[in-house]
Amino acid sequence: MKTNRLTLLIKGELLRLHKYNVVFISIFIALIWGVVLFFVDSVIFNALLPFLILVDATMMSLMYIGSVMFFEKKESTLSSVLVTPVTNQEIILSKILANTIHNLFSTSLIIIVFIFIKDVKINYILMLLAIILVTAVFTGLGLLLSYFQKDFTTMLTNLMLLMFAFLLPSALYGFGVLKADVWEYILLLNPIQAAQEIIMGGFRAVTLDWKYYFSLGYLIVGGILTYKFLIVPKFNAYAVSISGV
Amino acid sequence: MFKVENLKFKYANNNEDVIRGINFEIKEGEIFGFLGPSGAGKSTTQKIIIKILEDYRGNIFYQGKNLKDYTNEFYEDIGVSFEMPIHFSKMTAMENINFFLKLYKNNADVESLMKRVGLWEHKDELVGTYSKGMKIRLNLVRALLNNPKMLFLDEPTNGLDPTNAMILKDMIREFRAAGGTVFITSHIMADIDQLCDRVAFIVNGEIKEIDSPRNLKIRYGKSVVMVEYQENGETVKKEFLKQEIGKNKEFLEILTTKEIETIHSGETTLEDIFIKVTGVKLADEN
Ligand SMILES: Nc1ncnc2c1ncn2[C@@H]1O[C@H](COP(=O)(O)OP(=O)(O)OP(=O)(O)O)[C@@H](O)[C@H]1O
Ligand SMILES: [Mg+2]
Repeated sequence: MKTNRLTLLIKGELLRLHKYNVVFISIFIALIWGVVLFFVDSVIFNALLPFLILVDATMMSLMYIGSVMFFEKKESTLSSVLVTPVTNQEIILSKILANTIHNLFSTSLIIIVFIFIKDVKINYILMLLAIILVTAVFTGLGLLLSYFQKDFTTMLTNLMLLMFAFLLPSALYGFGVLKADVWEYILLLNPIQAAQEIIMGGFRAVTLDWKYYFSLGYLIVGGILTYKFLIVPKFNAYAVSISGV
Repeated sequence: MFKVENLKFKYANNNEDVIRGINFEIKEGEIFGFLGPSGAGKSTTQKIIIKILEDYRGNIFYQGKNLKDYTNEFYEDIGVSFEMPIHFSKMTAMENINFFLKLYKNNADVESLMKRVGLWEHKDELVGTYSKGMKIRLNLVRALLNNPKMLFLDEPTNGLDPTNAMILKDMIREFRAAGGTVFITSHIMADIDQLCDRVAFIVNGEIKEIDSPRNLKIRYGKSVVMVEYQENGETVKKEFLKQEIGKNKEFLEILTTKEIETIHSGETTLEDIFIKVTGVKLADEN
């Protein structure tokens, strides 16, 4: 793998996120949340901010990579990249990394807005780690999901259903509706719950417990295994099928 | 340059082979035409020999080495233009070009290429606003970005007006003159006839004939002279073989005794030969 080629691909991806207005949309969404959160009172705010970061790093990651893949599908551009010396791994990594960079930027925007207008205590290092890890894992999952979706609308619908199914228990637990102890263990296997654990770790008031370390390990190991055994091997067939030429 | 032996291929979602054991060779420095009607397997064959479709049976050698033993560095050597023009429509021509250019070790002179196809003045316009002809010309520029040794062009003249088609064909000839090898597919014979050194006729996944257009014409063609003349107030039309026509009594008699309306000679076209060899009509002209 040539690093300068990877860098070129990442730059290309970022430029396209900009040209295809994905960057604009993400800034717009961050600002809307900024306005909403500005007006809620501090109790709700304290529960909502982590939830928002979670949604941004998980669901929005899936959405952004999904839309990128569908732009490519619509214009068959992946086939032109397939006939350059670039390897499949370089293509995949550049997409995951570029989208992680992009989402890191948009999530950070939400946080930065609040550091200025509200009194938020954040452990920057842990928060950065959390956002990067969660975004990278979910971008990878989004890439994998897009392999199996026929068109953009179907993908959006499926994503919404999937996210709802995954987010609901975590949200209920987060807002204190689900209280039973077993949930604590069951929910940890849900990648979104794991994501929530490590994002919460980024707030200074929260002390790190075994759940934090478990989730951290779960996402790192799970992410690497998914990449190695699903995202990479299934990419070629997918790329050829959407090349449409 | 390329040697294809007993190539067979089946798409995963079909139960029958679409390529049924074809053999051919592309020699260094030639323009090799792959001709056949829609659905014959031209694009499929191109996709196999450019290493995009992998689960083929049979052997393919590129410069003596099995294609399967090449890594992605193979793509440093070749330039590909697909059936559809493919670009990022929300980026300018130059942004498109620069993205692809830097992925190669070897870089062509973009300015002269873009000038050659008449797109230099439009280099900063969004490709989405380009006409179809402009997109196809940009396709060729992209295929030439790495100074390839070999070009693969899938229906390059399809949908081009005569002027653009001419520019494109001239560039293909220049590429060969500079030592390049070309694989070109088409379902429109007339486009390719004057361009190719050798052509293969492919129908239904099988190659029916491979030779130079000239040899094909000698083998299958016949040159005729057509005469139209007046007889009893009606126009009569007759065809004579051109061979030894000066000794043909009937022909000479017509010339000397009748009032000739038209007289001209005709060559068999590649299209006629195609139909003769394969029994299949090539294409409805589009
Ligand atoms: N992705 C695919 N999956 C299944 N079958 C396919 C696929 N692509 C092509 N085919 C089938 O394979 C056969 C050959 O198609 P191919 O595109 O190679 O033809 P072609 O000679 O390039 O035709 P055209 O002149 O229309 O471009 C056709 O019967 C086509 O329906
Ligand atoms: Mg075709």
